[in-house]
Amino acid sequence: MNTLSVSLNKFRRTPAFTGFVLFVIALLMNILMQGINSGKPLAFFNPNSYSSLLMTNAPFILTAMAQSLLLIVGLLDISIGIQLALVNVVCIMVPQELGVPIWVGWLCAMGASLLISAMVGACSAVLRLPAMLVGYAFIFIVKGINVAIMSKPQGKVPREIYLPYQNPVAGVLPIALLVLLAVFGLWLLIKRRPLGKHLYAVGGNPRNAYAAGISPVKVQMQANLLKGFIVGIGGICLTLMNASGNPLQAEDYGLRSLIACILGGLGFGGWGSMACGVFGASFFVLIQNTVYHFFSYLTKVISGFAASTYWQNLVSDIILLLGLLVTIITAKEQRKTLKEGLLKQFKGGAARDKQ
Amino acid sequence: MTSSKNVRTTPGVHLGKVMAALRRSPPLVAFLLSALLFLITILINPRGFNNRFIGSLILLTTLLAISSAGQTLVLIGGGMDFSVGAVMSAAAIITTYTMDKQDSLMIYLQVLALSLVMGAAVGLLNGFFVIRIGLPAMIVTMAVSNIITRLQYVFTSGSPAGWAGQKFVDSVIYRFFDLIPAIVLYAAVFMPIVFWLLNRSKFGKQVYMVGNNRQAALLTGVRVNWVIIATYVISGMMSAFAGILGAGYKATARVDIFGEYAFTSLVAVIVGGTTFSGGVGTYGGTIAGALLMTVLSNLLTTLRLPQTSRDILNGLIIILLLMTYNRSKAVRQ
Repeated sequence: MNTLSVSLNKFRRTPAFTGFVLFVIALLMNILMQGINSGKPLAFFNPNSYSSLLMTNAPFILTAMAQSLLLIVGLLDISIGIQLALVNVVCIMVPQELGVPIWVGWLCAMGASLLISAMVGACSAVLRLPAMLVGYAFIFIVKGINVAIMSKPQGKVPREIYLPYQNPVAGVLPIALLVLLAVFGLWLLIKRRPLGKHLYAVGGNPRNAYAAGISPVKVQMQANLLKGFIVGIGGICLTLMNASGNPLQAEDYGLRSLIACILGGLGFGGWGSMACGVFGASFFVLIQNTVYHFFSYLTKVISGFAASTYWQNLVSDIILLLGLLVTIITAKEQRKTLKEGLLKQFKGGAARDKQ
Repeated sequence: MTSSKNVRTTPGVHLGKVMAALRRSPPLVAFLLSALLFLITILINPRGFNNRFIGSLILLTTLLAISSAGQTLVLIGGGMDFSVGAVMSAAAIITTYTMDKQDSLMIYLQVLALSLVMGAAVGLLNGFFVIRIGLPAMIVTMAVSNIITRLQYVFTSGSPAGWAGQKFVDSVIYRFFDLIPAIVLYAAVFMPIVFWLLNRSKFGKQVYMVGNNRQAALLTGVRVNWVIIATYVISGMMSAFAGILGAGYKATARVDIFGEYAFTSLVAVIVGGTTFSGGVGTYGGTIAGALLMTVLSNLLTTLRLPQTSRDILNGLIIILLLMTYNRSKAVRQ
């Protein structure tokens, strides 16, 4: 019992605690609301239900995981959403236009993702431009590239390739969950290796890291490439989910993944972990799902009640703002780190000069 | 030998002085760059150089300069306002919906009052949350801005809402001497107020102090939290005013019609020499930045490139602009 309370206390102090609390609340609300709406209390645990929820949202959760890596090392990237569309476009177009096997297309897509991430990294880490505005510029650049490759939504993925992704293994285990676990496992591996320590050191204080013999530029570039790898996987998941290509989709994932990470308790630089991103993004997803079930229940119960998706989106966004409010209570100590980190992010040299 | 050396070094010395002067004054750089890009635009398409072109350049620059005023104030105070675009769009929808093709003093006052109250309310919400939640301003204002956009969808069901009155539209887009758009009359009232607020008023001094060093401002007796909230409220009201004018320019409004202004205003302000760190910046610089952004977008239009190359070029130019101003120092230094 004692060890349990000790480990609970330990967990309360970790950065992921905020996100975890929000996640559990949203999960319980979702289970409850879905149960009420469908009339079956355990409707959420139906494999089809949770696996389709995971499948459709795996790309977003992966985006948030990639974003959290950048946040840890003190960077951010709001063009990450449109990069997902780039991967999707290359995945579809390379096999379609060149007649090569699908897996070659996937490899090219992964290469494209790594290349763009290296370019973003070069601007923010090597040239030391404000990461926020670099991301804004890259939204234009990547969008232009996407449309140049694929002028309008088109293409398809063979049935035998997307079906295994869309249907759970053995009827209970969604592939999307395995992908998420694999990426998270990769993170746990990296975290234990020197690179993991370097990520935190550079994010916490690049100067001290440099003095300790770590090259901040190199580590930030490595983080960017890792991000590119995760975005590549996310883009492939997106392709398997839609089974078609769209050059202009997912752009809003960029800003949304950023809010999700902050909700999950990540700070800017040296604070938080990938779990924060996972919890924050899952909170996002579960709230949207809960609100959908809530409104569809209201429509059933109240005759003549009709609410457009506009209302649903409004309610979801208000709950997200309330989620930010909740973090006041759960994460007071984290605030200072977070704010200092963000200032550093935007002010760059100016802030360092002042100190 | 010596004379040739002199000839070689003299221009170098001058160039060094010029570069130093430029480095000290980002607004000057923005202004010179605008002139350069403007010249390129004319050279590419001499026939496009006419009264209509100049008129639309002035109109768009003025609109962007007005909508960036609030952003300038907030950035100088050390914050950031991402809700500029959402508030502008909301004010534009209020304007076209209320006017519904009618013109009268009563309706004008109604539009002005409704929009400004809306802008102030959003600003108050932003300021309150920034102070209370203690999260970075960027995240908080982004979340608030999302809600404002969602509200617009609920209010209009996603379709365009009403039309601005014809007389009001004329008061924005009418060209004096077939050249100068009437919006400059609004600017002639609005801009002096901003200049006075930032440079002459006590409040302006306090904003600079708070942006420079919050702790020191607090110790000198400035009510820091109130100043910060006030910057957001004023920013909201200024964005709402810009939205009204925007409705006059576009004549009709739909959801998120000015959404892009959230980022365009930010880039214009930064290019104009205001820094993310707070405490530094001028409205004059912002006007130069707005001119640069407008000339740039005009140039990209004149090049008649397909949308794809236009997007890519636009992104690359923003990166180049950032490289001229916003590089932070290397860790080694």
